[in-house]
Amino acid sequence: MTIVFDTLAKIGFFFVLIMGLVVVLIWMERKGAAFIQDRTGPNRASIGGVRLAGLVHPVADVFKLLFKEDVAPANRHAALYNLAPWLVMTVAMSTYAVIPFGDYLTVAGRRVPLVAADLSVGLLYVLAIASLATYGVVMAGWASNNKFTFLGGIRATSQMISYEISMGLALMGLVLVFSSLRLTDIVAGQGDLIWGFLPKWGVVVQPLGFILFIVAVFAETNRNPFDLPEGESEIVAGFHLEYSSMKFALFFMAEYAHMVIGASLIATFYFGGYQIPWLPRPLIEANAGLILTLKLIGVALISMMIAMLFFRRAQKEKGKFGDARDREPVLGAGLWVLVAGGALAGLVLKPWTIGPVGADMVASLLQVMAFVAKVVFFAWLFIWVRWTLPRFRYDQLMHLGWKVWLPLGLANLVVTALVMAIV
Amino acid sequence: MEGILFWVCGILMVFGGLMMVVQRSAVVSAVWLIFAFVCAAGIFALLSAPFLAVMQILVYAGAIMVLFLFVIMMLQGPVLEGGRKRLALPMWPAVAVPPMAIAVMIIGYVKRHGTTGMGGPAPEGFGSPEHVAELLLGKYLLAFELISIVLLVAIIGALAVGKDERKLPWK
Repeated sequence: MTIVFDTLAKIGFFFVLIMGLVVVLIWMERKGAAFIQDRTGPNRASIGGVRLAGLVHPVADVFKLLFKEDVAPANRHAALYNLAPWLVMTVAMSTYAVIPFGDYLTVAGRRVPLVAADLSVGLLYVLAIASLATYGVVMAGWASNNKFTFLGGIRATSQMISYEISMGLALMGLVLVFSSLRLTDIVAGQGDLIWGFLPKWGVVVQPLGFILFIVAVFAETNRNPFDLPEGESEIVAGFHLEYSSMKFALFFMAEYAHMVIGASLIATFYFGGYQIPWLPRPLIEANAGLILTLKLIGVALISMMIAMLFFRRAQKEKGKFGDARDREPVLGAGLWVLVAGGALAGLVLKPWTIGPVGADMVASLLQVMAFVAKVVFFAWLFIWVRWTLPRFRYDQLMHLGWKVWLPLGLANLVVTALVMAIV
Repeated sequence: MEGILFWVCGILMVFGGLMMVVQRSAVVSAVWLIFAFVCAAGIFALLSAPFLAVMQILVYAGAIMVLFLFVIMMLQGPVLEGGRKRLALPMWPAVAVPPMAIAVMIIGYVKRHGTTGMGGPAPEGFGSPEHVAELLLGKYLLAFELISIVLLVAIIGALAVGKDERKLPWK
């Protein structure tokens, strides 16, 4: 029974992580787009005058989408039309079953590995789920009975077929290096050092494979520069054109869930997953007290610095808007002061005298935090790329996939195999 | 637990197969076939063959059925046909023959091995990627390589058929 409980807890962790990150990513996307295009971005939605720099907007979005009328085309194929958004979201979430987000956690004397299902074929499972992700989009495109959605669905299919292959080939190089299909083995192997100083991350041992993989992931998630299935300037909104209300919201959320998963895959395969470079788990456990103390001091210092930046802004922009927005920097500064105060209050508990149980918890917590930090960084990379690069043309996409990426993937595999055979 | 899962997967798979045959729309048929494939993968997983289970989804439910769906949608187009049609007469053999073939296989198996099956739990490491790789690249190497040559020939043939005839290198 404990294993059922453990698994449910891990599923719960990922559900909260994905859903939380989706909300944060929507905000990051809007503010990031505004930052790159040199404008302010959303800042109008407010709860009682508090706008939190646009963070209230996702909440407003949720309410809008929940209460909107669900308009559907009369000549749709009802069953597939209703199935498609559900399928997109389910498939997007199920990749998470095999991704390790930490080494292990000791709960009441039991070692709980921090991965929902440690499959011996984990890497193939990731590819299999990625190949199923097409269906929701295709079904949506076809069942809406609209030429534009149909074109979007067809584009999505051909794009995903084309880039699945180079994605698989890129990962095979990684499998040769770490000689396992198990994701926990691949991440554990990335904790080693090459020549005593270089972390043996996937990106270090497979640089070309990393570039192939990251481009293939962008293509699989249908994000710019590969968002041809949506292509709003060509086919209106592509496959989700005929969806409204919560069904559209599911597609929208699935896109961000795919981003979170793409970022997790990049972090897991090529950036050491939960590994902290030069800080293997035994070292963390041996010096847990020191690390925790330094960490609390570091958090306090950094949040004090951020609070000071807010204070400076509050003084510089005094009375700029003439309404509740003037108080926002003060509020931000106050929040960061609170964080700093919390961190300093933690020092009262004498974290340097932590015991072995606490050391284990600290090590697990640090690893999970390292994983989440990497995921957030690569999710930001997705946003960064989207607002920097223009969209591909369809023939350019196909040319890149079949005539450039596939031969490069094969070459990468052969060279890796040769090097592995010689070394 | 495994018994319950076996019956759930098995019944759903047979149901999916039946729905695939009786559907009027080819696209919906293909979707039911995907469903049946996923259930088959579940049964492979229960038979301690994780590699086969994942390959079933990756190759059949994923790659091959995506191509099928792609082609069917291109031919059928976005317009849905209306009106109920009864099953055309030549379809009946297609419905009737597979169950009979399966019945013949089951009777033949029971006559030879009895109803207890092959017996014994699977040995350690059975069905793992390593095990499959050892079989494919060891015992069945020749057959494996020959099949890959057949596939290569098929790909070249498809290219030759699909390409503009005036642009073929030997013309």
